[in-house]
Amino acid sequence: MAATSNTGHAVADDTGPRVIMALAGLVFVLLMTFGWLMLGSQGGYITLNPALFYQLLTAHGIGMVGTAGIAGVGIMWYFLRLYVPLNATVLWATIGIFLAGVALILFSIFVMGFAAGWTFLYPLPAKSAGVWEPRSAIVYLVGLLLVGVAFLLVYLDIGRALLAGYGGLGRALGWPMLFGKADEAPPPTVVAATAVMIVNTIGIVVGAAVIAISLVNLWLPSFDIDPLLAKNMIYFFGHVFINATIYMAVIAVYEIVPQYTGRPWKTTRIFLAAWSATLLMVMAVYPHHLFQDTVMPAWALVMGQILSYLSGVPVLAVTALSLLGYLYGAGVRWTLSLALLVLGVFGWAAGAIPAVIDGMIVVNKIMHNTLWVPGHFHYYLLLGMVAMSWGFMAWLTRAEADEEFGALDRLLFGAYVVGGIGLTTMFLYAGSRSVPRRWAVHLPEWGFAGKLGAPMALLVIAGAVWFLARYVMRFQTHQRVAPPAE
Amino acid sequence: MHQTTLIVTLVLLLALAAAFIIAIRGSLVRQPSGDAAAATARIRSPMLWGLLAFGVVVTAVTLRPWPHTVASAEKPIIVSLTGSQWSWDFKPKQVPVGKPIVFAVTSTDVNHGVGIYDPDGRLLTQTQGMPGYINRVQFTFTKPGTYRLLCLEYCGLAHHDMIDQLKVVSN
Repeated sequence: MAATSNTGHAVADDTGPRVIMALAGLVFVLLMTFGWLMLGSQGGYITLNPALFYQLLTAHGIGMVGTAGIAGVGIMWYFLRLYVPLNATVLWATIGIFLAGVALILFSIFVMGFAAGWTFLYPLPAKSAGVWEPRSAIVYLVGLLLVGVAFLLVYLDIGRALLAGYGGLGRALGWPMLFGKADEAPPPTVVAATAVMIVNTIGIVVGAAVIAISLVNLWLPSFDIDPLLAKNMIYFFGHVFINATIYMAVIAVYEIVPQYTGRPWKTTRIFLAAWSATLLMVMAVYPHHLFQDTVMPAWALVMGQILSYLSGVPVLAVTALSLLGYLYGAGVRWTLSLALLVLGVFGWAAGAIPAVIDGMIVVNKIMHNTLWVPGHFHYYLLLGMVAMSWGFMAWLTRAEADEEFGALDRLLFGAYVVGGIGLTTMFLYAGSRSVPRRWAVHLPEWGFAGKLGAPMALLVIAGAVWFLARYVMRFQTHQRVAPPAE
Repeated sequence: MHQTTLIVTLVLLLALAAAFIIAIRGSLVRQPSGDAAAATARIRSPMLWGLLAFGVVVTAVTLRPWPHTVASAEKPIIVSLTGSQWSWDFKPKQVPVGKPIVFAVTSTDVNHGVGIYDPDGRLLTQTQGMPGYINRVQFTFTKPGTYRLLCLEYCGLAHHDMIDQLKVVSN
C-alpha cells in the first residue's frame, strides 16, 4: 500500500510491524506459560526438576526481554514511518536475523541445557559445574549477538531516516524549542524514537562487546575478564535495553490515545525536557543494579540512587499526568485498545514506585534479589509495556466502534488486570517477606508465593490468549484503515 | 523496615490508582479541553517541585551515614566468607551479639550473593561474592540465635541449596 505522508515521502508498507506483533503476541503467551509453570512448581501444584526450572527461567527472561524489544520496534516503526522514510527491507532483515538468533537461543537452552539466566553474568556461562557444556554457552551468546545485530540494523536505518528528515539528532529531540530558539518541535513519536535510537544503539554496542569478550573467554579460558567490568557492562546494556522497550511502546499511547480523546498529544517544553533528561538518566542510572557490590566506587552508587529517584519523575509528572489530563473531560468511548493503553501507562508509572524505593541503598540491602524485584518489573512490563503492545494490536485490528469493547473483551481485560495486579502484589509481598528470586525450590514457609501466584498467572494468560486470538482472527479479514493523520 | 517498605509502596500505588480511576470516570463526560489542560498545568509544577524537594530530603536522610560504612572506632570482628558452587566456606562460625561484624565476601568461581537471614526468616543485609574481589558489609546482631546464609545471586543448578548457618551468641 503505497501512501504519501504529509511530509511528502513515500510511507513504507506496514506488513512488517503487523507480522512482528503477531509473532510477539504468540511468544508473550508462550513465555507467560513458562512463568506459570515456574510459579506452579514453587507452589507445589506441579513438579519441575531444578535443571528444567532454570532453563525455563533463562528462556522466560531472555525471551521476554527480546520479545518486548521486537514488539517495541514494531510499534515505533509503524508510527515513525509516517514522519520519516524508513526502509521496509531493513525491517525484514531485522526480523529474519532476530528469528535466527532466537532459534539458536532456544536450541542452546532446551536442547543443550544452557541455563545461566538471561543476564549471562560472567563467568557463569563458562562455569556451570558440569551442568551444561561451554559450547551451549557459545550457541546462546552467538544467538544473542545475532539478536543484537538485528536491532542495531533497524536502529541504524532509523538514525539515517531521522538525520535525513530533521537534519540532526538535536533537532529531532526538539532542542531548538527546548532552548527557546524555535516555537515548534517534532511530534512526540519522533522525539521518543530519537532518544530510543541513541540510547539503545549505545546499549547494544556495549552488550555486543561484553558478549564478544565472553565468547573469546569461552574459546580461550586463559583470556580472563574482570568480573566487575563484565557486570557493569551487562547491567548497563540490560538496563538500557529493557527501558527502551517501554519508551518504544509508549509511542502507541502518544499516537492512539488522541484518536479517542480528540486532544492531540503535544510536544511541549516539559515533554522535550523529560525526554532529554531520560536519555541521559537511563544510561547513567545502571549502577543501582550494583548496590551490593561494595567495591564499586561510592560516587557511582550515590549516582545510581539519585538517578533512580529522578528517573521516576518524568514518568509520573509528565507521561502519567499528561495522560490523565488528556482523558479527563474528553467524553471518550472506551475500547479495548484504549483500556489497554491506559493500563500500560498505569503499569509503567506504578512500577516506578517500588523501583524507586528499592533504588535506595538502605532498602536495597533487604530487597535486592528478592521477589520484590520481579514485583516492580512485572508492573513495568506485564502491566506496562506488554499491555501497551496488546493495546496497539487491538487498535491495529480495530473494527466498528460498537464491537470494540464487547462483553468478552471486558471480561478478559478484567482477568488480565486482576491477575496482573494480583501477581505483582504477591511478588512485592513475598519480597517484603524476604523470599529470594530465582530459586527453583522454595522453603516450605515461602509456599504462599507460588500458591497465590500461579492462579493469578492463569488469569493473565487467559486475557493474553484472548488479545492474541482477537488479533489473529481479525488479521486477514479486517479492513486496513488509513494511518493517522499528522 | 520490611513491612514499612511494603506499606509505603502499597499506599503510593493506591494513590496512583485513585488518580487513574478519577481520570477514567471523568473521561466519560465531555468538558472543554482547556479545563483539563489548565488543571494539568496547575498540578504539574507543584508536583515536579514537590517530587524534587522530597527527593533531596530522602537522599540526604538515606545516604548519611553512608550505608556501606565498614569499621568504626571499635575494632570489628571479621567473618571471611567464600562462596563456591554450591556451598559457603566461612570462619568464624560463631559471632557475638552487639558487636559490629564485618563480612568480607568473595567467590572461587562465579558470582554469588550472601543474604543473612534472622531466625524468623527476615533478610537483614546482603552483599555480592565475586571472584577476584572482596565485598565488605558490616552488621551488628542484636539477638542471639541461629541465622542462615542464603545465596541471593543465581549461580547454577543447586543455587537454592546454598544455605548455611551462622550462630550468634550472647557475650
